[in-house]
Amino acid sequence: MSFTIGPAGDTAMRLSFQEPPSPRLTRLLLQLQRTAQDYFLNALSDSVVGYATLTLFFTPLSLQRDQVTAWLEKTARSLSDAQETHAADSKETVVLPVFYDPAVAPDLVTLADDLGMTVDALTTLHSATPYFAYATGFAPGFCYLGTLDPRLKTPRLSTPRQRVPAGAVAIADQQTAVYPCESPGGWRIIGACPVTLFDLAATPVSTLAVGDSVRFEAIDEQTYRSLGGQL
Amino acid sequence: MRTLTLDKAGIASTIQDGGRLGTLHAGIAAAGAMDPLALKAGQHCLGHHAGEAAIEIAYGNVRATPSHDCALVVTGAPAMLLIDNESVPMRSIQTLSAGQTLTIGPPSEGIYSYLHVSGGFDTQPIFNSRSTAPREGIGGLHGGYLRDQDTVPLGDGAPPIDTYGADPGLCSIEQRAVLTLRYVPGYQYDELAPALIQRLNEDHFEVTSKANRMGITLNGPPLKTGVESLLSEATCQGAIQIPPDGNPIVLMKDRQTMGGYPIPGAVIESDCVRLAQARPGQTIRFAACTPQEADNIRWLEHHYVETRLR
Repeated sequence: MSFTIGPAGDTAMRLSFQEPPSPRLTRLLLQLQRTAQDYFLNALSDSVVGYATLTLFFTPLSLQRDQVTAWLEKTARSLSDAQETHAADSKETVVLPVFYDPAVAPDLVTLADDLGMTVDALTTLHSATPYFAYATGFAPGFCYLGTLDPRLKTPRLSTPRQRVPAGAVAIADQQTAVYPCESPGGWRIIGACPVTLFDLAATPVSTLAVGDSVRFEAIDEQTYRSLGGQL
Repeated sequence: MRTLTLDKAGIASTIQDGGRLGTLHAGIAAAGAMDPLALKAGQHCLGHHAGEAAIEIAYGNVRATPSHDCALVVTGAPAMLLIDNESVPMRSIQTLSAGQTLTIGPPSEGIYSYLHVSGGFDTQPIFNSRSTAPREGIGGLHGGYLRDQDTVPLGDGAPPIDTYGADPGLCSIEQRAVLTLRYVPGYQYDELAPALIQRLNEDHFEVTSKANRMGITLNGPPLKTGVESLLSEATCQGAIQIPPDGNPIVLMKDRQTMGGYPIPGAVIESDCVRLAQARPGQTIRFAACTPQEADNIRWLEHHYVETRLR
């Protein structure tokens, strides 16, 4: 696998694989992230996995560029060579209940129309297969899940909503996600999930992590309400 | 409990310290003072440690009253200060008696001023920081911008007078016709059209009023990348993000942790601070620098600051 290494601003380094996103690539990035954490210890203040990238943030004045570049080069190469033979970690699938209903999903009916299918067909497709968690971020607890069935591929709203409620289940391009907190957002809302995905009092604070397998399960209004969902 | 009541909170005041480390992977912005030098200066004056928080005030217009006598100092963007009706100087320790009122007027230049009170603000730290991240609703007094009549608890451990320091004279506000922002080119520097990079490097841009703790939008010749969105990846402080409309946004302390717009490079931290204090209408230009130059600048400024804080 080929990759590039370069600066991301004045305190971070970025490694990017020239490869389409895949669970295999994400698992490699996670392994590289853990290895970097063990190696750089406190010099590394944070690290973030993207679809095809790993960004390493260093505490100010502790980034030694040549050393980091050489280490990344060597480690990324040996891990990507070794990874071919490793089996995927078996992780349990997180099941998230979703109330698919126009009462909580302003885009559900129009989107089904746009895609030329019934609302039932859309929700059945969305909840049919487990998704892979490619990245977290954008907002606390937000997790980019893929890959959506190509029949559900849809552009973002041309003007993002100022206010997307917490729990909104949404899709854009070939990704899906649940908005953990109220925020602005341009993805199409097709349902609502009553489960809390981000809680400062919990450990870890986010329910979902990169590398997780996530499946959506349709629930009715009564179940949605009993799980704390609001209309 | 000692408290400070904000009779008038100003338009965008928040409790800030140096910010959080190690929360980006959880989607939580680092936050922290937009002008860390002004934060440090106030901490130094009052003998505070580097983790103590201040109230960051954008464009002044704050009125505050303490429950008990306290020492305070205001740093950053220079504003007219009044204790009751008497004018007092910036960057100089003042005593505010219980029931007296401190008024911070609009600053004559710059944007962010910092109100430090001896003993600090005793709000609940989240991930080892009291910094407010309003978008996430984390930190500060109640997770958001301070509001009129908010009462902020003060810390008990006011440092003794013999730990007070002189004003270190650190300043991030520059009066220049053109403010130069040095930036480290990133991977898209070579992927974007050479003509676009040339415009980025040679043309002048203007700070717009679409500027806040998340990012500062610039106006200039539109930089049309033709790229709607890329695979999401981590953003860094100072990243020059170019959305489809072609107006670059320099990402600041409360930036979204992931992004998918083209980023030709990232402004070095020390120039991010100058940009943070630059008002709408300020002309800026970008100047590419090598990562090694960026490191040298960081070391030099670190030593300069350390010397001033001695």
